[in-house]
Amino acid sequence: MNRDYAKYALRRVLQAIVVVLLAYVFTFVVISVLPGDPVTNTLRNPQNGFTEEEITRIVSYYGLDRPVHEQLWDSLSRLVVGDLGVSLRSGLPVTRLIGEVVGSTLVLALSALAVALVLAFAIGFGTRYLPKRGGQGLLRAFPALFLSVPNFVVGLVLISVFAFQLGLFRVIDSEGGAATSFAAIALGIPVSAQVAEVLIANLDHEAGQEYAAVARSRGLGRTRLFLRHLLKPSSLPVVTVIALTVGELLGGAVITEQIFGRTGVGSLVERSVTTQDLPVLQAVVTLAAVTFVVVNLVADLLYPLLDPRVRLAGGRSRGKAEVAAP
Amino acid sequence: MNTSSAARRVRPPGRALRMIVGLATAVALAACGPGVAANRGGSGEPRQGGDVTFLIDSLGDTWIPNNSAISSFQGHIWGHLTDKLVYVDEKGVVSPWIAKSWEQNPDATEFTLHLRTGVTFSDKTPLDATAVQANLDIWARGDATRGINPIGLFPKTYDHAEVVDAATVKVFFKAPTLGFIPTLGYHGSILVSPKTIALPAAQQADLSNDLGSGPFVLSSWKEGDSVVLKKRADYDWAPEVLGHQGPAYLDSITYKLVAQPSVRTSAVQSGQADVAYNPSPQELKSFADQGFTTATPRYLGFVNGFAVNTKVAPFDDVRVRQALQHGIDRKEIISTVYTPDWQPAQSLFQSNVPGATDHSADFAFDAAKAGALLDEAGWAKGADGVRAKDGEPLALTLYANPYLATSKSVDELVSQQLGKLGFKVDVQAFDVVTYGERVKVNSPSVAAYEVTRSFIDAGIVAGILTDANKGENWFGLGQSDQKLVRLATGVAGSGSVEARAPLLDELQGYVLRQGYFVPLTQIVQRIYLQSPRLHGVVYNGLAYANYYTAWLG
Repeated sequence: MNRDYAKYALRRVLQAIVVVLLAYVFTFVVISVLPGDPVTNTLRNPQNGFTEEEITRIVSYYGLDRPVHEQLWDSLSRLVVGDLGVSLRSGLPVTRLIGEVVGSTLVLALSALAVALVLAFAIGFGTRYLPKRGGQGLLRAFPALFLSVPNFVVGLVLISVFAFQLGLFRVIDSEGGAATSFAAIALGIPVSAQVAEVLIANLDHEAGQEYAAVARSRGLGRTRLFLRHLLKPSSLPVVTVIALTVGELLGGAVITEQIFGRTGVGSLVERSVTTQDLPVLQAVVTLAAVTFVVVNLVADLLYPLLDPRVRLAGGRSRGKAEVAAP
Repeated sequence: MNTSSAARRVRPPGRALRMIVGLATAVALAACGPGVAANRGGSGEPRQGGDVTFLIDSLGDTWIPNNSAISSFQGHIWGHLTDKLVYVDEKGVVSPWIAKSWEQNPDATEFTLHLRTGVTFSDKTPLDATAVQANLDIWARGDATRGINPIGLFPKTYDHAEVVDAATVKVFFKAPTLGFIPTLGYHGSILVSPKTIALPAAQQADLSNDLGSGPFVLSSWKEGDSVVLKKRADYDWAPEVLGHQGPAYLDSITYKLVAQPSVRTSAVQSGQADVAYNPSPQELKSFADQGFTTATPRYLGFVNGFAVNTKVAPFDDVRVRQALQHGIDRKEIISTVYTPDWQPAQSLFQSNVPGATDHSADFAFDAAKAGALLDEAGWAKGADGVRAKDGEPLALTLYANPYLATSKSVDELVSQQLGKLGFKVDVQAFDVVTYGERVKVNSPSVAAYEVTRSFIDAGIVAGILTDANKGENWFGLGQSDQKLVRLATGVAGSGSVEARAPLLDELQGYVLRQGYFVPLTQIVQRIYLQSPRLHGVVYNGLAYANYYTAWLG
């Protein structure tokens, strides 16, 4: 078992590294195929009045006139020594740009995850606690509702009601505690839906098991039954779902940050995509891939340890598919 | 009564009293007239102190001064961090600033600038002749070996500059360059410390390394988020025409990026910020009704309009171009897409450009005349209402200019108007990147190129209208139109504004009557929604708001 586990772990780590490298190259290819780059786009703005000669000179300084494979090779050799390059849009080192924003996104993503978990478990508890005709059905509809209301609508409503009408937070102070909480709610709501769906399904399953019936027949209250018996087995699959919601959190952060005026990885991506700032995009995609892969790797590696029922048959864990980067 | 209840709805409770006061001020201000005039007339004496928050839709790309100074967004910040050699007001009048006086030779090929003394950059480096020379060189040439662009619109005729003494610089040009002095007031021509100029591009990209001599200095900044400026206590070299000397009244200005237009305007309405940049034109009236100040200053430059490519059939026929010229109802554009704050075009130049003359009659809307011109040119109306000649329909594709938010709506309206005349008009809208790749002035696939361009001096036409001296050749005429070449060369070679004025006047009339340039409306590219507490804002010739003279009431 131990040796099996080591083999399994090694395989998963190697797969993870390949995924990250592929993400890096893939980003390069996709962006290079598109016409234009930040330097040329700025120079070609008719307001600027540059001559062709001037444009050619500057573009060649950035090496953007060289064949794509040479540029890719350059970028890969830089990556190997840990140099992420310089942003073509802002002229600042990529590491500095990412360093400035990563903290904000981390805070947002973690608080959104906390919001999502609290919401999901509250809904889960509610579906077991409320009587069938006393609101349980309504509660069960919540995840679908949360998924179908776009993130930006939630965000705009929150801002309009809590910032502008009630004055509970200032949009200007977008990184402040109050503003962050509301941004986390906007981002956390759709994420909670996925967690809640899985949790409810598992709770229903566990509640139908004999041990639950036995516990109920012994006169256990609904709250104690939920906390003592149903919660733990139902929560295990949630670990996998949480790992998968990393993609949702990162993707949703782009929109949430935009709406709440936060400066995080999402807003950096937005600015870099619109200007085709290749070095920054490569770095961010790689960072996202690393985060996604690491979180899923940790979940995969933890799973067999948490749940002894999981067999490592052929090195695959139960109910877990290989997932590519978002 | 209507307006006060509408305004109160968006304000937190308990602010009703302040709102009423604000309304009273706004009513008083509204009486002074719209736009710029309303802003200058504050109530009472300027007050010291206060912090202003300005919500902006973008903070541009890089902060390398040469590469960013003309950005519609970063220009706001540069305008407060740096000074210029001359000041150009909203009427295009040039007045002394860091250059306290200047003279030129009769050919306008040599200029001598006399500098104000005692001016320093924020690192205490003196802003003297050596510093000015270093700035002129980098504006004109950039430095391709360090990835630093030249200032695109700086006169390409620049030869070199010489330091005569600490307070005198002599500048030499290869050809007459009457536009040189006004260009020094252009948003690209910002004076930065020679220490900054010497830095590599990656360090210039860090705004904290970019030192100017302006009334504000950088307090902090975060890429893509905000820039905070604080007043410079020893500032004492403002342009005389601003009527205020010494340090600014305000303690600080915070430029904060808020991408959502509705969030920007709601924040100002709810008192969380003082200025929102670029609200939508259609909303301006309701903001004004609620007691907020709105400003729609015009920059100096070309009006919004089409440069017609005479190489593309059927626009090689002057009658078809004239039909286009008379077939557009500009009044309807203003009433439909814009508000009465927008002014009809009177020429190919904005009417505040010195030397712009009123040629409205040359392109007045007259559908009957336009129809007759097309009939005469042999374009007969078919059963479907589209005119055709030799089996070819009278087709035109308009490409909405992505640098002007309202461009697509304007083009769609124009397409309806021309459609009634028998044109078959197609409107294409591309994003900035695709537009840059596909839509170029004077390209065989672009019959009408939509112009939005600011400039400081009308003399720029000499390098645009024909292809003489590597000109941009807007109408595809090359140098085939003798009269246009004569006028443009005359404008370029003029040694004085007085000698140039009649030539410019004749040139405007000629270009419009020939249907080379088809004006739409005067252009407002910078729109401001402002709290009624803020007074004394001044807009310069490039329509940037200047808060040096501003104060909070």
